[in-house]
Amino acid sequence: MITRILTGVSVLALTAGAALAADAIKVGYVTGLTGACAPISEDGLNGSKLAVEMLNASGGVLGQPLELVIRDSQTKPEEGGKQARELAAAEGISLLTGVCSSSVLLAVTEVAKEFKIPHLAIIGSTQKANIEAYNPYFIQTQANATMEALAAAEYVAKKSEWTKIAPMGFDYEWGHTSVDAFVGRLKELRPEMEIADPIFMKVGEQNMGPYVTAALSTNPDAVYAAVFGGGLVSLIKQGQSFGLFAKSNLVTLLTVDTLQSMGNAMPKERVFGVARAPFFALEQTPELAAFIEAYQAVYNEYPTDWAINGYDSMMWYAAAATAAGTTESDAVIAAFQTGSFDGLKAKGLTVRAFDGQMNAPAYVGEVNFDPSFPFPTMKNVEKFAGEALMFSEETIQAMRDAAK
Amino acid sequence: MIWVQLVNGLMEGMMLFLIASGLTLIFGVSRIVNFAHGSLYMLGAFLTYALVPLIGPGSVAGFFASVLLAGLLTAAIGTAFEMLALRRIYGSDPLMQLIITVALVFIIRDVVRWIWGANSVMVPAPDALMGAFIINDTYYPVFPFVIFGAGLVVVLAMIGIIRFTRAGIILRAGTDDRGMAALLGVNERLIFTGVFASGSFLAGIAGGMAAPYGDVNYLLDTTVIVTAFIVCVIGGLGNLYGALAGAMLVGVTKAMGVLFFPRLSMVLIFLIMAVVLIARSLGRQGGPAR
Repeated sequence: MITRILTGVSVLALTAGAALAADAIKVGYVTGLTGACAPISEDGLNGSKLAVEMLNASGGVLGQPLELVIRDSQTKPEEGGKQARELAAAEGISLLTGVCSSSVLLAVTEVAKEFKIPHLAIIGSTQKANIEAYNPYFIQTQANATMEALAAAEYVAKKSEWTKIAPMGFDYEWGHTSVDAFVGRLKELRPEMEIADPIFMKVGEQNMGPYVTAALSTNPDAVYAAVFGGGLVSLIKQGQSFGLFAKSNLVTLLTVDTLQSMGNAMPKERVFGVARAPFFALEQTPELAAFIEAYQAVYNEYPTDWAINGYDSMMWYAAAATAAGTTESDAVIAAFQTGSFDGLKAKGLTVRAFDGQMNAPAYVGEVNFDPSFPFPTMKNVEKFAGEALMFSEETIQAMRDAAK
Repeated sequence: MIWVQLVNGLMEGMMLFLIASGLTLIFGVSRIVNFAHGSLYMLGAFLTYALVPLIGPGSVAGFFASVLLAGLLTAAIGTAFEMLALRRIYGSDPLMQLIITVALVFIIRDVVRWIWGANSVMVPAPDALMGAFIINDTYYPVFPFVIFGAGLVVVLAMIGIIRFTRAGIILRAGTDDRGMAALLGVNERLIFTGVFASGSFLAGIAGGMAAPYGDVNYLLDTTVIVTAFIVCVIGGLGNLYGALAGAMLVGVTKAMGVLFFPRLSMVLIFLIMAVVLIARSLGRQGGPAR
């Protein structure tokens, strides 16, 4: 009797296992688990994993479970492209996502185009993927790099007491396009503003002293810095001893991971930053509260912008596939381009058909020490709607023509 | 502004020298190009991060004691590596050096990431060091001065040891003519181990001293090693005083370049290196450490 039950159970388990393997919707997740992107890639993956668990617990998508097939791009474009290609050719994936670095993003989006697989961007944000390298399978779920720089410019323009700005950035594609977009928009909004010659330093520069000194030599009211990660941490720490926060202000990128890293070393005031999904400044919905609670239960920390992006994008994929009634690529893309999406970072978001850009907002605020959090957050956070930051169709067409 | 920038440049030069001096000493004596030197620097930074809260958070003496201890621990790890791995490949194919020292780069990187995670960590510095002297509304940051001073102490101690002690004489003899030194009864193995330990110590304290000023993460190793190689090439690999001159030249050129030719500042350093390589072929072969 016992044997019989056991056999019955194991047969059942086997069939269930087989059904699961055959029917799972596979998501190709190519992300920089090692290399320069490691800290933020892990956050994005954690958010996505949580979304997949929640979706599967409530019956999956179209009655099928979702399965993340995770690959490490090592933050190298060749490696990321290779991994994406293997996933597309051999794993039967229905979606590509997870990419962090811009250069890897461009490599992966080529593969998505070739194999006609939807590609959702959740961390990497180069606008090239929307403009010159655009293909109809690409969807950018966050404000891209130029949109963020434009949000910073809009914010700075409103500070009527600021009349002199010194821009600086990392010396590579992202740093230069960010500085150019920022300066361009600021000149439009405040033609009388004095803007110093931009200063560029190598990516990941540790000794920011010389650059801070050079930027301060023009006596700016604010320094705009298109830097991130370790370079940004160095800039803030060293900037204090050069009087950056006594004589001037800093406008930069402040995602939750940077705020957490800085901790008490963050100056008490005069630091402003752009963020993609700062959980403390988002609309405090029950869904967000539930997500934060679930995230803390599993990972024992507050979710960063990347975790929220990772979560939102998996939920949106589920919504698009459900609306399309299939995981077939063209139908899913059509569903993305016609639907409206609610997420933790904003509601009622839509995707433009001609560049795959979602009208995701950018958040800009001022550093604040709120005793209810173990790290600095931001106050007076302004939400810049995506539409106001997106280039018009004509501008994008002109940029595409110019790039040919 | 020029004076502040000069301080910036000298501080960076001093840090570069502390790193490059170990690299160049090791090469001068044992002809090993230690690609893991940047990893030892990173290890020093992380060990300081771990030690400061235990030894004396907030106090200047506590900070320097932590740095010193971190340097000693790094030296111990370097010594173990030399005795277990490097010792077996002296005199063999240079490719072996590459494989073994690069292996150490990966090992240290993964161990550090495993222990301390992938995110940046903050090394708390005593407040007394992070301030600035304000003269005529210009900020002169304290930390670069302190680093420069501490570096100077290390440099003078090193020069003193090399010039005036028996160990220094043996070291110079070993660099000049290894065979002859061995014939005269100098224990080669001991020199090699000693030099590697000293180089590791220098890298460790450099990492520890710089830690509160910048960002500490597990990718620091490669960030540091490239500039250290440039300094060694300019100074002549194996030449200690050359490394000192090269480090100061790179540090000050970079800082002044940023102020006066912001668009050229990074090219300038490579330009200097190119000129040195063309004009002075000794730079590539390595001169004596004296």
